[in-house]
Amino acid sequence: MDLANLPLEWANYLSIFGFLCLFVLVWFIPRHAVFEDAPDQSRWRDIRLWASLLIVLQLVIYAVFN
Amino acid sequence: MQLYPEQQKTADESPLHPLDLLIIVGYLALITFVGLRLAGRVRSARDFFLAGRTLSWWVIGLSIIGTNIGANSYVGAAGNAFTIGIAQANFEWIGAIPAMIIAALVFIPLYWKAGVYSIPEYLGLRYNQTVRVVAALITSVVAVFAIGVALWAIALTLQTYLGWPIWVGITVTGTIVGAYSIAGGLAAVAFTDMFQVCIMFLGGLVIVGLGISQTGGFSGFVETLISENPNHLQAYLPADHESYPWPGVIFGLGLVLSPAYWWAGQAILQRSLGARTQWDASAGMMFAAFGKIFVPLLIVFPGLLALVMHAQIEYPDMALPWIIKNVLPPGISGLMFIAIIAALQSTIDSSVNSTSLMLTRDVRHVLIKNADPANDLKIGRLLTLFLLLLSMCTAPLVSEMGGIFTFLQTILSLFQGPMLALLILGAFTRRATPQAGLWTLISGVIVASATSYAGVNMLYVAFSSFIYALIALWVLSGVTPPHPDKDLSHLTYSPWSRS
Repeated sequence: MDLANLPLEWANYLSIFGFLCLFVLVWFIPRHAVFEDAPDQSRWRDIRLWASLLIVLQLVIYAVFN
Repeated sequence: MQLYPEQQKTADESPLHPLDLLIIVGYLALITFVGLRLAGRVRSARDFFLAGRTLSWWVIGLSIIGTNIGANSYVGAAGNAFTIGIAQANFEWIGAIPAMIIAALVFIPLYWKAGVYSIPEYLGLRYNQTVRVVAALITSVVAVFAIGVALWAIALTLQTYLGWPIWVGITVTGTIVGAYSIAGGLAAVAFTDMFQVCIMFLGGLVIVGLGISQTGGFSGFVETLISENPNHLQAYLPADHESYPWPGVIFGLGLVLSPAYWWAGQAILQRSLGARTQWDASAGMMFAAFGKIFVPLLIVFPGLLALVMHAQIEYPDMALPWIIKNVLPPGISGLMFIAIIAALQSTIDSSVNSTSLMLTRDVRHVLIKNADPANDLKIGRLLTLFLLLLSMCTAPLVSEMGGIFTFLQTILSLFQGPMLALLILGAFTRRATPQAGLWTLISGVIVASATSYAGVNMLYVAFSSFIYALIALWVLSGVTPPHPDKDLSHLTYSPWSRS
């Protein structure tokens, strides 16, 4: 397979697929691992939520600039 | 909208405004003051190299961004954006953010649990001490030249704006960075990075605001860009693009080079290891990832703005200097000048501190059998001074030694794929063995060198050497003696089993 002939739209599909896989993987990490050493158990300290927001922002960015 | 050839200024038309000078002097005084104030906190090697493990998540996050935006980011990224458009932002987005998320959730907790000071130290525990020394030495040698390049870039900037001779620029910068880095260690580096990043973003936002207002507002800017350069708002370039083909960007940059940088880069991860808690370490990296989303505003937007404003420049790397001269009014251009200096300084101080750590602990402790850890602080400070002096000596030679620096950078990139394979199999499986790790590292670099020599694009070299190393490590681990420590639970990632 000649990589140079791959269609450009595959790049967007692959990116979206990759970000969705990452989103799922993030939520496989157990809660206790995320809150290890955390000063308290506040919802905002769940960095899986931070990761999810980052992934959504990335999806929006790549949708805009496709 | 027809813009601005008549507005274009030349270098000798823009003398330094007194307000610019005030901003510059104020910045240098503030950075030195903050850095030296933190010197009193340093009483041990742990204080010096890991800030006594006191850093909070937002300091870590800002410091990571400061360390990451380096010598090439401002000038080089703006120049590339002038040529290829928004695709340059892939280095900040898909080429950083996914890896940063995984670093925050997986690798930082892993290093934290292992209780290490450095990534080579983790590799030493997971594989053997030879792998540790090789990883530390290669990174350190490249760092010395990288610091030299950054010093040279600052000296050039100072020469351009203030008319200082190159040697004065190198000496002044080296002295200021050296003063707070040697006295205050990582804490001083992290807190000054924090100020420096705030200045960078302030300067970037001023350019965005003024630039957009001068090009007829946001819609005017976008319309001009799309009508004249329709491909400049495409995130990916065609697969047959010579420099940045999209398969290379996704597989080489996104899957190999970026993870290798964010999961194994000592200068980046050292502030995470200096966090007050594991949560702060992880949250700091995640916070930095939010910052990365907006970094293209600082370093990519000026290139696009220069394009829209029809900048008449000889080569793309002049896009940012052109913007500073032609968009920013007197008094504000000093702010952008400081932003560039700040970006370079934050890279230099982080590299000096992390290289000093690797030489003090990862090389000295292994090669000198009776090295006394009680001397680590003294040795670390002396090495920081030595590294700065060495880099100051190499800085003037950078322009003549471009070939050597490129060679060293190539060596480092050849190292990334195999190093990443060692990290991934070492972190996620107990199968990887010490001997297999060492031989995979050596043979992986040879494979990468061979493919690079054959003229293959570096992004594909990184990906192919990574795949080779994954297979080699897996196969060799099946025929070599296992790790002497049967219980690898503290060195492998297993969050599903509570310890």
